[in-house]
Amino acid sequence: MPSSLSGGREGVSPLGLKNTLAGRDIISCRDLSREDAELVFRLAEEVNSGTIHLEDTLVGRKVALIFVEPSTRTFQSFYVAARSLGAEVLSIHDPAVSSIAKGETLYDTVKMIEGYGVDCIVLRHPARGSARFAAEAASVPVINAGSGSQEHPTQALLDVFTIKSKLGRVDGAKIGMLGDLRYSRTIPSLCYLLAKYNGVEIFFMAPHLLQVRREVELYLSERGVTYRKAVEADEIKEVMPELDVLYVTRIQKERFPDPTEYERVRGSYVVDAKLLSYGRSDLGVMHPLPRVDELSPEVDKLPNAWYFEQARNGLPIRKALLHLVLGGAE
Amino acid sequence: MSSESLLVRKIDWGTVLDHIPAWKGDQVIKLLNLESLKQNPDVSVIVLHNVPSKKLGRKDIVKLYHYMVSEDEAKILALVLPQITINYIRDWKVEKHSPGLPEKIVGKIRCPETTCITNVEREPATTRYIVMKEHGVIACEYCDTLLEIERIPDFLIG
Repeated sequence: MPSSLSGGREGVSPLGLKNTLAGRDIISCRDLSREDAELVFRLAEEVNSGTIHLEDTLVGRKVALIFVEPSTRTFQSFYVAARSLGAEVLSIHDPAVSSIAKGETLYDTVKMIEGYGVDCIVLRHPARGSARFAAEAASVPVINAGSGSQEHPTQALLDVFTIKSKLGRVDGAKIGMLGDLRYSRTIPSLCYLLAKYNGVEIFFMAPHLLQVRREVELYLSERGVTYRKAVEADEIKEVMPELDVLYVTRIQKERFPDPTEYERVRGSYVVDAKLLSYGRSDLGVMHPLPRVDELSPEVDKLPNAWYFEQARNGLPIRKALLHLVLGGAE
Repeated sequence: MSSESLLVRKIDWGTVLDHIPAWKGDQVIKLLNLESLKQNPDVSVIVLHNVPSKKLGRKDIVKLYHYMVSEDEAKILALVLPQITINYIRDWKVEKHSPGLPEKIVGKIRCPETTCITNVEREPATTRYIVMKEHGVIACEYCDTLLEIERIPDFLIG
């Protein structure tokens, strides 16, 4: 929605706190303050513990889910969240059977779906910048559910929520990010959100070809966030004992412009019990899922495996976020 | 009378863009948007390539007869070609102009990221950049991709 309208309908959240997210677009974690994130986390905690019920707080509201790229967790958790809050859901989940397959532009899709009286659009699209573009086209809030390799802010919210609940803090956390840092959309969002906390240290653990993009480094250095890079296997082993959390990402095969580059890095890292033996015993392993072969199933049995709980956190986080953005009734 | 001024006569009204690096004069025309220049029937454009220069050795000069470069255009020219000097001519009188730097650039430059929404066919998305001069880059406001200022000429639209 136009920026002049962002944050326009500020009300009070069910926590009794000012709802700073009412009516806002959720496009990038660059735009979210620590207070915005903490508001979502506190409401999600209350939802998880059953002290606050958000059921039916969005009765009479319509949420559109436009997913132009494959999704399991994000689509399903947004769908279940919206339905359990009582909202009506309009969805485009398979672009092959919509007018997108006939070449309809994102702009036209947004204008068309907005005409059906929706109160919010949740968008996943393969193009970087698609969410911001859609937000400028729409008069209702747009939530970015993945914009190509650029960002995935709601994933970062559930990631930091998981770190906070498992580690007991985010300030001062030492986070290793291992894998495809170049094409993963979860990595930039996670970095931008972690940058809002104090004393966080980030370790980018990846071969040169998969190292983090320059705009992420620039954002972190402008905000004084300490980060280091570990490229070789030996460097990665050296970093392991320092970490509180190891965040693993899949190689995003579908985003490589050159298939030969993918072949060069394919299988270049595997997180297994042996690699974890170099870390602390309480090291938490996270993964946005799906995984392919970069995270061995043998880790599932270890207490270090946080990733299934991380995935479950998607639901309370998206419930809380939808409720706050739509300014749901108490 | 200097040798360069012999190449083409003086103009009485318009803009003279001087000290353009040799063979970069066409980039100036692209930055000014040739199509919009064409729409003004009174405008004449004279591009001088590889003229001897005390300051640069060789340089290009662009003379825009009956066209006053706007402040926004002047700022972008100064960003991309920092050596350029901009002279406004009114009734033969020369007025040197020193523009500041732009904060934003709208249009004119294609995003180097092929998967950016501004590069998706038929989407009505116009490129928009924030200038981060201190880092020597501009950043696409849609997709965050950084483009080094010296590489801007490679991505000019048109």
